[in-house]
Amino acid sequence: MVIGHTCTCDQNPLLPALCRVIDVKQETPDVQTYTIQTLDGKKPFSPLPGQLAMVSLLGVGEAMFSITAQGEDYIQSSIKRTGMLTDAFHEMQPGQEIGIRGPYGNHFPIEDLKGKDILFIGGGIGIAPVRSLIRYCLEHRADYGHLDILYGARSRKDICFKEDCLENWPKEPDTSVYITTDVPSDDWDGHVGFVPSYIEEVGFRPEGKKVVLCGPPIMIKLGAASLLKLGFAKEDVITTLELRMKCGIGKCGRCNIGSKFVCLDGPVFTLAELDELPDEK
Amino acid sequence: MIISKLNLNKALQILNESAQVFVPAFEVIEDRAAKKSIREKKFLPYREDLEVELEGPNTVKPPKDILFPNVEKLYQYKAAGEDSYIRETLPEETPKILFGIRPCDMRSIKSMDKVFFTKNYVDSYYARRREYVTIVAIGCTETDRTCFCDSMGIDPNTAPGADVMMNRIEGEEAYLLHAQTEKGEALLKNLESLEGPSENVKAIRTDCTLKIRKIPDLDRKLAEMFEHPIWDKVTKGCIGCGTCTFVCPTCYCFDIDNENYGTEGCKYRCWDSCMFSDYTRMAGGANPRPTKKERLRNRYMHKLSYFNERYGETLCVGCGRCIANCPSHLDISEFIEKSSAVDPKAEVYTESIRAAQGKEA
Ligand SMILES: Cc1cc2nc3c(=O)[nH]c(=O)nc-3n(C[C@H](O)[C@H](O)[C@H](O)COP(=O)(O)OP(=O)(O)OC[C@H]3O[C@@H](n4cnc5c(N)ncnc54)[C@H](O)[C@@H]3O)c2cc1C
Ligand code: SF4
Ligand code: SF4
Ligand code: FES
Repeated sequence: MVIGHTCTCDQNPLLPALCRVIDVKQETPDVQTYTIQTLDGKKPFSPLPGQLAMVSLLGVGEAMFSITAQGEDYIQSSIKRTGMLTDAFHEMQPGQEIGIRGPYGNHFPIEDLKGKDILFIGGGIGIAPVRSLIRYCLEHRADYGHLDILYGARSRKDICFKEDCLENWPKEPDTSVYITTDVPSDDWDGHVGFVPSYIEEVGFRPEGKKVVLCGPPIMIKLGAASLLKLGFAKEDVITTLELRMKCGIGKCGRCNIGSKFVCLDGPVFTLAELDELPDEK
Repeated sequence: MIISKLNLNKALQILNESAQVFVPAFEVIEDRAAKKSIREKKFLPYREDLEVELEGPNTVKPPKDILFPNVEKLYQYKAAGEDSYIRETLPEETPKILFGIRPCDMRSIKSMDKVFFTKNYVDSYYARRREYVTIVAIGCTETDRTCFCDSMGIDPNTAPGADVMMNRIEGEEAYLLHAQTEKGEALLKNLESLEGPSENVKAIRTDCTLKIRKIPDLDRKLAEMFEHPIWDKVTKGCIGCGTCTFVCPTCYCFDIDNENYGTEGCKYRCWDSCMFSDYTRMAGGANPRPTKKERLRNRYMHKLSYFNERYGETLCVGCGRCIANCPSHLDISEFIEKSSAVDPKAEVYTESIRAAQGKEA
């Protein structure tokens, strides 16, 4: 569990920077991706893959989101409508001012993954953190081995990042993409079935391979069981946790599991590390 | 330095000239419903007509709100397109003196320091308040029926980390003060004019009231007892009111929320309680700590085990406030006693077998 943030003694870690949403993209009926920039057109900060941002809609509220992508002068988060606050986020138009603080949390172990084959598994909006790592690996292509990407969504219209999943990633060298939907639909001629059974169906081999597994809790649970059945070790399966968060800096006490704080020591943990923690996930 | 009790008011007046002094004193609160008035001892800003009581039982509430207020503004904002702004609102740079805090409460401030100053992030708000506070601690001369600091490894006669340590002198109506830091030296310099004669004086030593067994490696033992049936028993009667967390000098969990006035507003933080059900509830209703059992277990484990693992010390200072104020008489010291008799492995085993058999039946 590497902590990716260094001391910020001279900065107020609870103070957001005023930023602007410069683009809003409708990914699925209930997920939008926001491209965020500082008011003077810069990148708010440079996160490592898997890190988080506290996004604040002034006057409404704030919540933690994965940073799904970044470029020279922007970061991106994808937000799913789940309640009052996220409903309000979905009302945003390009040009909207928002507050951003971060980056928070540890990050995917980009160093340990070097030289390895990687199997990325995402379910639903859980593909958001995975995408940050996929993008990183593609940008540093020579450092990583074969990439397998397995992603499951409810139906075709619920697939997030359609361009990446259906067009861009399948064209990348030494990369295999497996997309599945829970239910069939007229506009989908791909695989139908749940993620855990698809993992077993493809029958990925554990040798020299690390797995990144993110999605709703039930998918993580059953997906992990499938991976263990295929012979993967718990040390080699990396996942992310989601608990309610307020401060993001390990102070407010909200997101603890035992002595660990998910906002600071997580959200990235291996299954082996999770086994060490009390069962309050 | 020795200061006679007769000069105490004078000393507080001198200190109050250059800083805001907080002292333990009585406040009379009218309880209209019950048609009576209650006298509550608490830390109050010093005034000459205040009924100060340095000795006697400790204050009902700890002085933590002076460093970590119940509600604290984080920033102001305006959400209005081009006119939007976010403005930091750090606490004012007002020197304060916490005069007469007890060893347990001093230890609790040291634990708060660990939380707010270490592990990658310094909390700007706490840091600002802490920098401007000078602490004069006083050794206890009397302890309450719920005090068990001694069992938590705290000596009621000394307060490491306080700027000035103050003890009652045996057989005399006077106090012995000595500086433990530079801030403390500066404070005592201000009081030189009140210095009394100091020949062969001896400070009073007090013993803590409630003795509970010191359990070696309690933190590790509890970590093994996470699934133990003892948690079902200790939670009995808890109504989830959160009183225990609000009176606790070391509970520091907070919530962040906002208050709007039209397009403007402020973000603030306020004390929160892990004993409340919505503390960990997520969007969609899932809750990793769904019942009072998980919540109380988290509170006790945080105090007695998790904090040790993370910061190397226990987070319960044995002040007894949660015991004295719980409407259902839950008692953390009793829990510690009881867990000393537990064999973590053995009982989990028998209970789980019993539970399994129960299900089959
Ligand atoms: C580490 C982490 C990464 C996340 N990444 C993403 C992401 O990339 N995309 C995405 O769509 N969602 C993500 N979430 C979940 C997102 O934060 C919640 O969906 C969102 O807070 C719920 O918002 P709501 O206010 O609409 O729900 P409401 O029901 O209105 O919630 C009310 C309040 O509860 C708090 N709250 C409720 N659930 C959560 C929760 N799960 N986490 C934190 N606070 C909560 C909110 O702060 C809000 O103020 C992530 C959460 C965490 C902890
Ligand atoms: S004060 Fe007592 S009843 Fe109230 S939450 Fe704490 S333990 Fe439960
Ligand atoms: S847990 Fe209870 S006894 Fe321990 S420090 Fe907090 S209030 Fe005092
Ligand atoms: S969100 Fe505050 S401690 Fe993790």
